[in-house]
Amino acid sequence: MRVVVADDAVILREGLSRLLEEAGFEVVGLAADADALLELVERTIPDVAIIDIRMPPTHTDEGLRAAKVIRERWPSVGLLVLSQHVNARYALELLSAGSNGIGYLLKERVSDLDELSSAVNRVGQGGSILDPAVVGELVGRRRPADNPLEHLTDREREVLALMAEGRSNRAIGERLFVTEHTIEKHIKNILGTLGLPISSDNHRRVLAVITYLNSQ
Amino acid sequence: MKAKLSAVAAAGLLAGAAGVWLAAHPQPTGPSEPGAILTLVVGASLLGCGLGSWQSRPENRIGPIMVFTSFAWFAAQLTQSPTPWVYTIGTAVQSVWGVGLVYLLLAFPSGQLPGRIDRWLVGAAIVLTLGLELLAMLYGNKAGLRCPGCTDNLLQVVRDNHKAQAWLNLQRLLGIVAVLTVITVLVRRWLKASAPQRRAVAPVLVAGCATLAALAWTVLFDLLGDPLGALPAHVWFYTMATVPIAVMFVFLQRRLARGMVAGLVVELGGSSASAGLRGALARALGDASLELAFWFPVEKCYVDGDGRAVMLPDDDGRRRSTFVERDGQPVAVLIHDPVLEHNAELVRSVCAAASLALENERLQAELRARLVELQASRARLVGATDAERRRIERDLHDGTQQRLVSIAMSLGLLETKLPAQDTAVQPLVRETREALALALEELRELTHGINPPLLTERGLPAALDELCRRAALPTHLDMAVERRLPDEVESAAYFMTSEALTNAAKHSHGREVRVAASYEANNLTVEVADDGIGGASITGGSGLRGLADRVEALGGRFTVSSPPGRGTTLRAEIPCA
Repeated sequence: MRVVVADDAVILREGLSRLLEEAGFEVVGLAADADALLELVERTIPDVAIIDIRMPPTHTDEGLRAAKVIRERWPSVGLLVLSQHVNARYALELLSAGSNGIGYLLKERVSDLDELSSAVNRVGQGGSILDPAVVGELVGRRRPADNPLEHLTDREREVLALMAEGRSNRAIGERLFVTEHTIEKHIKNILGTLGLPISSDNHRRVLAVITYLNSQ
Repeated sequence: MKAKLSAVAAAGLLAGAAGVWLAAHPQPTGPSEPGAILTLVVGASLLGCGLGSWQSRPENRIGPIMVFTSFAWFAAQLTQSPTPWVYTIGTAVQSVWGVGLVYLLLAFPSGQLPGRIDRWLVGAAIVLTLGLELLAMLYGNKAGLRCPGCTDNLLQVVRDNHKAQAWLNLQRLLGIVAVLTVITVLVRRWLKASAPQRRAVAPVLVAGCATLAALAWTVLFDLLGDPLGALPAHVWFYTMATVPIAVMFVFLQRRLARGMVAGLVVELGGSSASAGLRGALARALGDASLELAFWFPVEKCYVDGDGRAVMLPDDDGRRRSTFVERDGQPVAVLIHDPVLEHNAELVRSVCAAASLALENERLQAELRARLVELQASRARLVGATDAERRRIERDLHDGTQQRLVSIAMSLGLLETKLPAQDTAVQPLVRETREALALALEELRELTHGINPPLLTERGLPAALDELCRRAALPTHLDMAVERRLPDEVESAAYFMTSEALTNAAKHSHGREVRVAASYEANNLTVEVADDGIGGASITGGSGLRGLADRVEALGGRFTVSSPPGRGTTLRAEIPCA
């Protein structure tokens, strides 16, 4: 899989690039800011672009804006946006940018080779991923007692969180040491309680769950 | 000075008496003039008024000019003398009083001729009254034109009545032109004058212009051979009598103005605001345009009542400054119309009467300015703190956080290099990575607390929304702010909300919180209300004092309403454009 990395900090750019190569990805280019990234993507059309959210010149959300531009111009490129902060709003903005192959992770998450490799693969194959910290914030939020989310069991909450992170039914089952079938039953219950449609498309399911969580 | 003036007075009276005596014994065919008494009244009042002015303001030339005019006036009476040399002198100087009148009118009230045209006009008056008179005298006897047997003119060289008449006609013609020019200059000056200037010269100007106009009229009629008879030709003589009266009136008016200083003292007893003081001084000085500024010793400059530094006018400008001191220390400056300089006594007595009030006012103005400065410095401190927070957050983000992430990556790489069955090192690396993940999480929380990135990047609506979502109690947000506000205002509103939400979760025992933010009429209002037990107080040693300080430093208002059992409402109103 061909990957580009954009980060203004050279140690992170290089560190990430070494990890990616170690994991067997082909790093086809590195960029230090959003303009260089857009140029690089146009030139190489990678499978996945890994983008730091905060880059020069204003050091705010240049990476996020660049990601939206890439999604608009080159929809085939998977986007994995990295941040040093937990920010549900940015994650949601990114997921709403449309279709598949979008991820939002905390930077330190990708220091684990397995996590990095799984994230890049999933985004490259059109899946969506959301950082557990962001999901945790969305799910763990305090809500009034009459909110439907308060009616979920603890196990159902766990499943909901893993769904929101973008994991497949099988992956959720493995994580919770239960069968895929049991997970499917949980999911049916959850979606029924929350009044959400059942969808097999990973991205659509993530977006629906996140939008629901954010609106409550 | 006194002895000198007394001598002048005695000489004047003597001249007057002689004039009266002569006038009372006129030559049978002498020129018909109004009564000797009127002549004496005009001359004596010029003399008296001139001496009075000379004594009270020796530096002003108005006094000497009037005394000179009165002497010249009396000297004209010498033409009535039967003695040839007296008659000759009298004839030569009989119109010189006109120079005095022109000088007086042009130089009133300062005593200085203001411009080149004024000096030219006085010069022209001298040439016309003295020069042409003397030329005419070379050829004949002025009185002799009318009475061939009159007293001899000692300056006569050759008798030529035609030439004498021609010179005299030229004198009269040019005299009319000169008089009209003087009137024009005076009228134009009047039109350009400020209100206090007009007030100061009006009576003298009117009397003087009337006299000059009447004189021009008389001379014109004389040239034409008195077509309407002698009586209208003497109107100028009566108007001339009003000139010294007008001068006296102006001086009297000034004395009355000085009397108003007493009124000022009474008025100052009741007023304290600087507008009141300025108004009282303006009334006492008769100058509505008066400006007042106070001495600030630290800044070493004069500052007006609103705390703005005041530029003092140049001395040649259209405004003048008078400095007020108290115990040798500068207190204030009065910036006023230049005409007040001619009434320095009034200004001095007004300043003396008002110096205590001015000192009082100066202290108040200084205090006000210090308060404004203090408020500004509080705001700057808050601004500097916010900037520092943003800098620290940036430094942590770009420095420590990145370095730790990079270490985590290296550890991740290291882990892949270890053989999977290495039971000695593998758990150690995993442990280190977990500790590092914890450190990164704590650092993330810390930087978020120092300066929430969302606030800087997306502004108050997004940041408050995030804050409410993260709150420990269910929180409803009612957001009616759409625009970005100044950094320090956004920060104050954010941290106030953050602290209020933390307090509500910790102390209120409430079930939910409502946050409302709105912006209207250049005012941001943020209100955080819980439904808990209440009883919070700004003086209770809680973080509320700090929140109040922060809001007040920005010129805002912070209130706490927390009746026991009925919840706590914190409200901040911050002005911002």
